[in-house]
Amino acid sequence: MTSTTQDRVVIKGAPLRGTLDRQNLGVLVPLLPIVLFLGFFFFFPMAVVFVDSFKSNEGNWSMINIVTIFHDPYRMAFINSIKLGLVSAITASIPGALFAYVIETKGSQSLRRIVSSLSGVLANTGGVPLAFMFVAAFGAEGSAVMILKKLGWDLYAGNFSLFSFTGIVVVYLYFQIPLMIIVFSPAIHGIRKEWRDASQNLGATPLQFWRFIGLPLLLPSFAASFLLLFASAFAAYATARAMTVGNIALVPLQIGNLVDGNVSINQANAGKALAVGMVVISAIAMIPYLIIQRRARRWQT
Amino acid sequence: MKIRGILLPSTLLAAIIFITLPFGSATEFSFRDGGKTKHSLAAYRWILAQEDFLHYLGVSLRLALGAVFITLLIMVPTVAWLHLRAQKYRPLMEFLTLLPLVVPVVALSIGAQSALPEALQSNEYELSFMYVILAMPYTYRALDIGMSAIPLKTITEAARGLGASWIKAITFVIAPVIRNAVVASLFLTLALSLGEFTLTSLLHWDTFPTWVTSVSQQNIIGAIALSVFSLAAAFLFLFAIGLLTMRSKSDLPEGQE
Repeated sequence: MTSTTQDRVVIKGAPLRGTLDRQNLGVLVPLLPIVLFLGFFFFFPMAVVFVDSFKSNEGNWSMINIVTIFHDPYRMAFINSIKLGLVSAITASIPGALFAYVIETKGSQSLRRIVSSLSGVLANTGGVPLAFMFVAAFGAEGSAVMILKKLGWDLYAGNFSLFSFTGIVVVYLYFQIPLMIIVFSPAIHGIRKEWRDASQNLGATPLQFWRFIGLPLLLPSFAASFLLLFASAFAAYATARAMTVGNIALVPLQIGNLVDGNVSINQANAGKALAVGMVVISAIAMIPYLIIQRRARRWQT
Repeated sequence: MKIRGILLPSTLLAAIIFITLPFGSATEFSFRDGGKTKHSLAAYRWILAQEDFLHYLGVSLRLALGAVFITLLIMVPTVAWLHLRAQKYRPLMEFLTLLPLVVPVVALSIGAQSALPEALQSNEYELSFMYVILAMPYTYRALDIGMSAIPLKTITEAARGLGASWIKAITFVIAPVIRNAVVASLFLTLALSLGEFTLTSLLHWDTFPTWVTSVSQQNIIGAIALSVFSLAAAFLFLFAIGLLTMRSKSDLPEGQE
């Protein structure tokens, strides 16, 4: 590191703040490839989407597309997608959190490791294969349906359908619960046994421990995980596409239709406006998630 | 006390049912031969008879390896550099690389379609580049955590101080200690690329996952058999990563985590 010290001696006396001296430049140049890469393949496309959504299809500045997405059928799709995100987050976060709690507090070290690896696998098992797997299990001819029928429960006696809102929520559980386990387990793990012992020694009941220590510690992480699950279900495309037959309007599917050219050309920029709408809603959930996770990392090891 | 004793076993039982029910059903379904009760390997024989099977498997592998190559070329040196000399830019880079997580893939697809130059969009390897973007929040994290666990800067300075050239320091000091983190990030890229559907289909390319979807329209049992195959492969693959990253953690001396 002798060269660095020498450099420092050379620039002594120069104003330190805001100068892009040779040393600083040398540090920054190796970071250029990734910045250019992200810029070209991520920021530039997203900027184009953003700008184009404020243009009419003739290329003039216009609010027409923004106005369009607040009207049906797009308004309905946004409502459905937000509803799907919320319902999926509620149905997955609670069992996921309880499961994580049981495993973290009662399970052995090796069991915790197996659960964590398995959750990692399952959380990434989204997409089309997952949808087909559920068709095989819970479709009208599905194996699980036939087994349940033999046991005396005809799933299809009522108006159950896998290709419905409820069906999608059920299928999403398969990757949402493991996702919850992954993001929430560190928070439970972070509650030290010593804190519990300390509160007990000071005369707190278990209920008081949870009321004043446990839940306040877990609540931010739970909220963050909930937001992540919401964003994940809200934005999911592949599974939803394989599961629905155009019967449920969801924003990702409508964007897909617009991109596939299944609609008239004068709606080319409507897809971009929808995409901006999705980014905004996703950001409302993901940015607090990232901030809370960052803060929580301070006390979770 | 009795309830406590059965809490863990019953939770595990519920988890096992939750995992095996759909997977087991799909496996049973994939062996069906026309009727509901007759079973055979017909669906799997049908798959092997499809020329497209190996073709699209090849396409997916090629594009995934492209993404792995780009990750190796761009991500690994960047994160290593951040740890060696540019510590103060780490929070900024962490923020930038997390952003692809905030944007839904559908939205990025429409952006790529309308912004990327024609020449690139007519080349299937555009997908490799986009896969790297999608994987970046995960690969950056994997590399960053892996490199934070070792005093990379100190040992590199030690090597340099003892007279090693930069090339020697990279080959004999840096590369061996970051190997596990690099391998983990490359496997993550590979797994994500092989299974990617949304971006691929919206950019109108055909890979293994999109082919499975088109198969479902003519042979649903075939598509289910393919799903079982690809999920089983993904399962083994990702489980191997899980074990690998676990090992890299336990390799560390106590107190460094």
